[in-house]
Formats: sequence, structure tokens, C-alpha cells
Amino acid sequence: MNIFIPLILGALAGYLLRRQGKRTNLNTPMNAVLLLLIFLMGINAGRVQISAIWLLLSSVVFAAFTIAGSVGMAILVGRWL
Amino acid sequence: MRFLGYVVLSLILGLLVGRGYRLNFGNLYELVLYILIFIVGIELGQRFETGRIKEFGSLAITLPFMTLSGSLLGGVVASALLGVGMKWGLAVAAGCGWYSLTGPLIGQYSVIYGTLGFLANLVREMLTILMYPLAIKGLPKGPAVSIGGATTMDTTLAVMTKYGGSDVTLVAFVHGFILTLLIPFVVPLILQL
Repeated sequence: MNIFIPLILGALAGYLLRRQGKRTNLNTPMNAVLLLLIFLMGINAGRVQISAIWLLLSSVVFAAFTIAGSVGMAILVGRWL
Repeated sequence: MRFLGYVVLSLILGLLVGRGYRLNFGNLYELVLYILIFIVGIELGQRFETGRIKEFGSLAITLPFMTLSGSLLGGVVASALLGVGMKWGLAVAAGCGWYSLTGPLIGQYSVIYGTLGFLANLVREMLTILMYPLAIKGLPKGPAVSIGGATTMDTTLAVMTKYGGSDVTLVAFVHGFILTLLIPFVVPLILQL
């Protein structure tokens, strides 16, 4: 299934709830679903042979470069605003 | 911070179960992912009001786009350095700190890069909490908000407010809000390239 289908259906449902003044707090169901999904993702990852050190180092490298890129671009463009 | 602990615990438990047992959950992963995406959609639908965005200044509106494009640029460099395929690197970078969405989305296509997407964005959130108070000593407070990516409207908003002041709060919230609208569309688009 295309990921956009549940996203757009959810957005429509959220819009309708807002229009009817029935905003719902979805923190608890979202947290529960998220923890279950991360657990399942861990199971899938556990089945595959991955070097934990490579994974950890790569995560830090990606985090550092994406942060540097974002801040660099924000400062660079911010000068013209 | 407590929830972050549960997140890490869930991942470690899953990794241990996956290593130790040969369990087959069929399509449960996809089903749970679609439920999460549906809930994310409801959240967006409940919060999104076009009229309100116009009320904020040019920095608050342009900053998220700079954050996203800079993050993608950083992802290109990181991919080249680590020898990771460009498509995967861009998808990981497009998450902008939203680990709970990016990891599972990429995980549909590749377990390894899904885990990388999850961890890299989790590390970004943790680094934001640690680095923002230090970063604003040398950087302008407004553009420094971009460190946090999509997390600036919720998990890292308190840090931004505490150290950046109340004028940064609004910029941080709008910044995170716009990225939260963009990322659920940008990551799948990159993955379909």
C-alpha cells in the first residue's frame, strides 16, 4: 500500500474532527504504536547481520553532517533575509 | 527524556528477540506502520491551519526549507564518506530528527538503512538537546534552531525556550511544524526514486 493513502486519510479525518470541534489527544495511542513498531523494527534488524559499531558510527556521522548542513544553510541564507 | 528511554529499550529488546528467536510476524510490521502513519495524518489534520502560518515572520517560514535542504546536503556528504547509496543517505537525512517516522518508513525497503535512519535521527535529537545551549554562544539564536529539525515543535522546544528565550520559541515551533508537514511526503518521495 502506498504510504500516502493512510497519511491523507488520516489528515482528512483530523480535519473533520477539527471542523466538528472534536480534537482528540492521540499521544497515548501514538506512543503505544510507536514502541510496538520500534520493537518490530528491532526484531527485523536483529535477524540481519549488521556491525553494531558501523551502525553507531554511521549514525553519528549522519547526525553530525545533517546538523552542520542545516545550520550552515540557515546562517548562509539568513544573511539575505 | 523518559520516553526516549522506552524507545531505546524497545529497540534493544527487539534486536535481542530478533537475534535469539526465529519469529515470523507476517505483515504486522506494515500494518503497524500504516496505523502510525494514519495517526500522524490525524495529528496533521487537527493542527494544520494555513491562515496561522502567514502570521509569522519570514525567518520562521523560510528556515524550515533551509533546514531541510541543508540536511539533504549533509546527507550527500555523509553518504559519500561512508559509501552508503545516495538514495538511502538522502532518505535518512530528510528525516530531520524525526526518528520515529524515518526509521520505519525506510525499514519497509531496507532493514539496515531503516535502522540507520532511526538511529541517525535519534542521535540528531539527542545532539540537539546537548548542543543547542552551547551553539547559541557562537551562532545567532534564530538560525541555530535548525539544529533540531522537526523536533523543535515538541521534544526539543523546551530546550530552545529555556536557552534561546521566548522570541525563539515561536520560530522553533513554526519551524518544527512546517517540517512535520513536509517530512511525511519528502521521505517516501525519495524512497520511490
